[in-house]
Amino acid sequence: MENRIKNVMAAVFEISVEEINDQTSPDSVENWDSINLMNLVVALEEEFDMQFDDEEISEMLNFKLIKEVISQKIK
Amino acid sequence: MVVNICYNIMENLKYFEIIKLNNQLKESLSSDPYQVTVLSNITINSLKEILEFSLRKEGINANVEFGDYDNIVQDSLKFTSSKLVIIFWETCNLTDGLHFKIDSLNDKEFNELLEKTKLEIDLVLRNLQNTQLVLFNKFTATSFASHSVNDNRLEVLASKLNEFLATLSFKNVKLINIEKSLINTGLENSIDYRYYYSSKALYTVNFFKTYTRSILPFTMAANGKAKKALIFDCDNTLWKGILGEDGTDGIQMASDSKYGKIFNEIQSIALELNKKGILLGLCSKNNPEDVQTVIDSHPDMLIKDENITIKKVNWLDKATNLKEIAKELNIGLNSIVFVDDSSFEINLIKETLPEISVLQVPERLYEYPQMLRSNLNLFYNLSQTDEDLNKVNMYKEQVERKNFEKSFNNIEDYLTSLQLNVTIQKNNSEIIPRTSQLTQKTNQFNLTTKRYTETDIQSFIDSGETLIYTFSVADKFGDNGITGLCIVITDKLSNSAKIDSFLMSCRVIGRNIELAFMDFLVDDLRKMNIQILYSSYIKTLKNVQVEKFYDKLQFNILNINEMKTEYFLEIDKYNSTNLKYIDIKY
Repeated sequence: MENRIKNVMAAVFEISVEEINDQTSPDSVENWDSINLMNLVVALEEEFDMQFDDEEISEMLNFKLIKEVISQKIK
Repeated sequence: MVVNICYNIMENLKYFEIIKLNNQLKESLSSDPYQVTVLSNITINSLKEILEFSLRKEGINANVEFGDYDNIVQDSLKFTSSKLVIIFWETCNLTDGLHFKIDSLNDKEFNELLEKTKLEIDLVLRNLQNTQLVLFNKFTATSFASHSVNDNRLEVLASKLNEFLATLSFKNVKLINIEKSLINTGLENSIDYRYYYSSKALYTVNFFKTYTRSILPFTMAANGKAKKALIFDCDNTLWKGILGEDGTDGIQMASDSKYGKIFNEIQSIALELNKKGILLGLCSKNNPEDVQTVIDSHPDMLIKDENITIKKVNWLDKATNLKEIAKELNIGLNSIVFVDDSSFEINLIKETLPEISVLQVPERLYEYPQMLRSNLNLFYNLSQTDEDLNKVNMYKEQVERKNFEKSFNNIEDYLTSLQLNVTIQKNNSEIIPRTSQLTQKTNQFNLTTKRYTETDIQSFIDSGETLIYTFSVADKFGDNGITGLCIVITDKLSNSAKIDSFLMSCRVIGRNIELAFMDFLVDDLRKMNIQILYSSYIKTLKNVQVEKFYDKLQFNILNINEMKTEYFLEIDKYNSTNLKYIDIKY
């Protein structure tokens, strides 16, 4: 699951998979703006075949938190 | 498999894959940027990556930017220098929350809204008059449509606005029927109300994938990338059946015959394109005289000589022929669409000439007309002029004038990629019916055209002096079954042998299988101590393509007359062709 999230994030933010760690967030990624956040959400929803609600989206503040949101939903 | 060249590639990609590929394409394209501006009153950001990708994939170096949210009127003055402006004006958000507030408007207010919007449309389009191309979505209210008998007021508003759009006549403005994208994607897959309520984003990624299909033909045409020529194979592509096997009377394309009606429709579609200036051509492995006879005198053949700009009917490989077609017509390979029924030919062109768009006749024949029709967009021309209509004749003269050299084509690489393998069997009495059938049905690649019954074959096997070689041909796409036969009569006393029959089904010609088989045969005979091998070619109306077969293999001529050539070969002097790309199993 981690790798699938990383692949999506790497494509959306135009960064390499290796750069991504738990702390990766809008502060460390130049392209992480509101439009790309929406792209990320759409792409993750498609990749994991799930839908996020507003609250979940607002929790997606860095890679670690994104992992948590998704793993909660998979359970 | 329907090869739907432009579209399916994207529909199978996930959104993040599109983003990734789009970034890669951006780096690889060096042509001038094609500036696209999208003006909208809703949020449609995910259109950017998808539209850019679909255009860049066609070599158009698109750069998509958005105007400010709900600023269509103001922005129509700002982006006039863009090459393309797309107006994405959503009925439900003409004013904030209109999709439900419209019900509380009285008639006067409703009319005021309608008139105000008309004035805005007119203003926007006048502001953009000098922009090269403006694509304007027709209004739709389907996403908030009523499911009751009567249209709701949003639907009424949308249709009144569309009536108004139809009265406008700006030359640079084309209307996009967005309803078609909704139908093709399905409403449920097109709309995501969640994002509409949170951020005024109504449409899904899936919708935009379909929507860009309606944008693409216009941009292709604006960039000079519209297709110019439609080239057909003949057998099972323009008519049902194989001319070389079934004969002029056996092929079908009549509107009242079971399969013929499909081909009648195909020919009609082609003729309609021809009227619009699209060039028609033939590229087929057949005897040219046979095809000419069909064109000249088959009562059901709709496409006539005057419609056909170029004909490559011969036994050369199709990649070479299509290259020559492009050269003679003086158009790019990327202007050509080629239709064929054979996976072999389709894949050959895909791999050796990827610029050419290929369409494969579907296995389910009834899907064929719709498949062709759904690809007609490829030929879309922004303005149909008299010159287009004359173009057909213009090109024709050009072809007649031009002389050109045959160019060498490296087909070996392609054949290697096929992983061809030939399985040879000797005197297998289990396949006597198929063996006999091959002698009776094969006309084109058949050196002597001797017909044998099952009893004949059985007695050959029983004689102990006759060798019946049969072979099947397989490649990475599948097995063609038993498609080749060679009957050799040996004479142990004189240490000689004679090839009585050698034939191959037309399904497997063009792969040099015959050469690999001859290597095997000579080797096998050598082991039996045979020193001289005799053979002959007997001319028929249908086997001209193998007339020089033994000459090419450097057999010596023993005797020659108009109908028959006899040859002999000293086994020790045989030069093996040694084809690396055909694997022989015995």
